[in-house]
Amino acid sequence: MTTLDQTVADSTLTDPTPTNRTPTEAAATAAPAHGIPDPAVLVARRRPGHVLEGPFYTSPEIFALDIDAVYAKQWIFVATEPEIAEPGDYVTIDLGRYSVIVLRDDDGQVRALHNVCRHRGSRVLLEERGSVGNLVCGYHQWTYATDGRLLHAGEQPPEFDKACFGLRQVAVRTVGGLIFICLATSPPEDFDDVADRIEPYLAPHDLANTKVAAQVDLVEHGNWKLVMENNRECYHCEAGHPELTCTFFPTYGFALEDIPARLMPAHARYLKAGVDLARACDERGLPHAEIEELTDRSTGFRIQREPLDGAGESYTRDGKAACRKLLGDLDIPRLGRLSMHTQPNAWFHFQADHVVTFSVLPLAADRTLVRTTWHVHRDAVEGEDYDLDHLTEVWSRTNEQDGEFVARTQAGVSSPAFVPGPYSSSEYQVDALVTWYLQRLQEHLGR
Amino acid sequence: MTDMLQRLPAPEVAQQLTDDFDGLLTCVEITPITHDVTSFTFALPGGAGLIFAPGQYLTITVEVDGVQLERCYTISSSPAQPERPTITVKRSPDGPVSTWLHDQLRVGDVVSAAGPYGLFSTATHPARKVLFLSAGSGITPLMSMTRAMRDQALVCGSGSGLSGPGLGEPLDIVFVHCARTPDDIIFRAELEALAAGGLAAVTIICQDDSPQEVWQGPRGRLTLGALFAAAPDVLDREVFTCGPPRFMAAVAEHLTLIAADPARSHRESFVLDAGAPASERALSGTSHLVTFARSGVTVECDAATTVLATAASAGLRLPSSCQGGVCGTCKSTLLSGQVDMQQAGGIRQREIDEGKFLPCCSTPLGDLEIDA
Ligand code: FES
Ligand code: FES
Ligand SMILES: [Fe+2]
Repeated sequence: MTTLDQTVADSTLTDPTPTNRTPTEAAATAAPAHGIPDPAVLVARRRPGHVLEGPFYTSPEIFALDIDAVYAKQWIFVATEPEIAEPGDYVTIDLGRYSVIVLRDDDGQVRALHNVCRHRGSRVLLEERGSVGNLVCGYHQWTYATDGRLLHAGEQPPEFDKACFGLRQVAVRTVGGLIFICLATSPPEDFDDVADRIEPYLAPHDLANTKVAAQVDLVEHGNWKLVMENNRECYHCEAGHPELTCTFFPTYGFALEDIPARLMPAHARYLKAGVDLARACDERGLPHAEIEELTDRSTGFRIQREPLDGAGESYTRDGKAACRKLLGDLDIPRLGRLSMHTQPNAWFHFQADHVVTFSVLPLAADRTLVRTTWHVHRDAVEGEDYDLDHLTEVWSRTNEQDGEFVARTQAGVSSPAFVPGPYSSSEYQVDALVTWYLQRLQEHLGR
Repeated sequence: MTDMLQRLPAPEVAQQLTDDFDGLLTCVEITPITHDVTSFTFALPGGAGLIFAPGQYLTITVEVDGVQLERCYTISSSPAQPERPTITVKRSPDGPVSTWLHDQLRVGDVVSAAGPYGLFSTATHPARKVLFLSAGSGITPLMSMTRAMRDQALVCGSGSGLSGPGLGEPLDIVFVHCARTPDDIIFRAELEALAAGGLAAVTIICQDDSPQEVWQGPRGRLTLGALFAAAPDVLDREVFTCGPPRFMAAVAEHLTLIAADPARSHRESFVLDAGAPASERALSGTSHLVTFARSGVTVECDAATTVLATAASAGLRLPSSCQGGVCGTCKSTLLSGQVDMQQAGGIRQREIDEGKFLPCCSTPLGDLEIDA
């Protein structure tokens, strides 16, 4: 791997008082005096079209339930292939109490292994990322091959069968260079269908043959659902994201009749740019139609190639490409954004010149890791073909702004005075996320 | 005349061509178009041809009950047939001239006419992508332009599809026509043929069914949604609009709302059989200079227009939300000048005293300078 500019930034904009309480304190506030909320009751009494009740965002019990019912059951986006470009490259992913090693094995295959030694259970790899020959547990040096086989365990009796003690495998699938894992023993089977349908959209960008130009981990002071909900609407974009809305049309998700007059010029530009984009895509055989199946299936997703404002090429202030080398076989920069969203934890923007991926990993009821990764052509040279600050500016700023919105919301929904409000029509994808989430909880709770 | 027109005369056209006619036209053909719309085709003296740009009109003078009456009628025919200029006229109950034409004019009769006049034409505003918006008999100039483009393509022999004069790229016509009922669709068969032949993307919107036909297409008026549906790339197009005043006003409102370039929007309006041009949007008539100091932009602002709207039309994006003086999002500093502010709680007196104001609900009382 080449340069990996990895920053861990804590969302600094937050007033520590309300959000830095321990989860227990938060729950004590949110729950009635007589005990913790019964999740089944909360699920049953959610008003359709309305925000969830406070405990969904504050209760450590519901956080644990989310990990069990959602993060340990569904396909979760965790990394991209360029993050583990060479055999032995790995990243470790923490999901609740789980830790998973995602690595490229010696045969070049992407694997996912539970990061739990088969001897006495020590974490095997402690770093967040790195590169190994074999995987050696630091406690008693049990040694595993990159495919998980146990190669060496010193001082065992002769009848000890190493074949029985490989690292436990986690289901893993790659599609278009994106790596998804599923902790369940029988993962949702609809992923194959989704993969077949999204692959033609993603393939032209050849993400697997890019390199990571930058990666930023932002810890947001809010529940993972608030992070995702915030991402699923653009009601807040106009006022909240001056850099993003240079190119991201702020009428995203709006029905025409709901668009305020002041946004009509932008919407007209959006429609016009859409016509141009559709033509450019059709000429090149690039799929661009919207597919939106956000609820009623395990692997809920949405994908569409949509125009960008300005030059229409990339997420920059003027919409011009941020990197001179285009991805894959793409011959023009003006191909808008191929945007995808997968339930429950990711969104993606593929432009002709770069790809940005976003992975949301819950840390606690009120803390969430948002990992943003920028990918450019493998041969692109920093300072020559692209400028790192220019490449990352828009989404770095946008993420910080969103982190602030999420922190404010976490503070607000933690108040005993919080009463769930109604979604507006442009927030239908937020409603879909919440609906999908409740469907998963119902499945898990067995009703 | 333009290049486009100079190429048109076909070999069989009579020796003589004129682009400035004032004399007697002989009616040579009368063609019913709908129950109350008729086309009248004329011949010039000596078989001469009339050079005109599609969209131009003739002034026709007839004597009704001993009184000379003069009205303007758009030429609906194609400039490719200069020897057969045609006007298409809707019978208007209160219109003596249209009534006379419908009831009295026979093949062989003459009328006095002068023309052609007018700048409302694709020849004056050439473009590769056009949007024609018409209602009622406002379709006539637009049909003339469409026929001109079709015939031009045939003359140029560009193979399939329309081709712009010398542009080598196909012309792209979106034609939207609004009618009261299916029975009132002027040139319906021709519009349908244009659509079927891929020469124009045609949308017909009817307000009501007719007794004989339940309208299957889009209904109602030309809303912004219908406009977007017909031409999502309206901002990319040269827009030609013709129809009754209310229609023209609605289109103007839509185009303003989406900040379409006024320089690319062209309009023509005849109040049926009255010949009067449509009234422009109500403006106060007084205007002031508004300077956005930081942006270094100075624009004229009509005294009836809000400062926010003026900023928007100057391409400045001031933050705003409610647009009604409630939320305070647009709050800005007035460096000099006086405004009439109709606010609704979005600003405090203290702030006004500090020189702040709400551009969304303020109109200028004189020249302004704003810190924006
Ligand atoms: S726990 Fe890993 S070697 Fe003992
Ligand atoms: S936009 Fe709300 S007060 Fe001006
Ligand atoms: Fe946002």
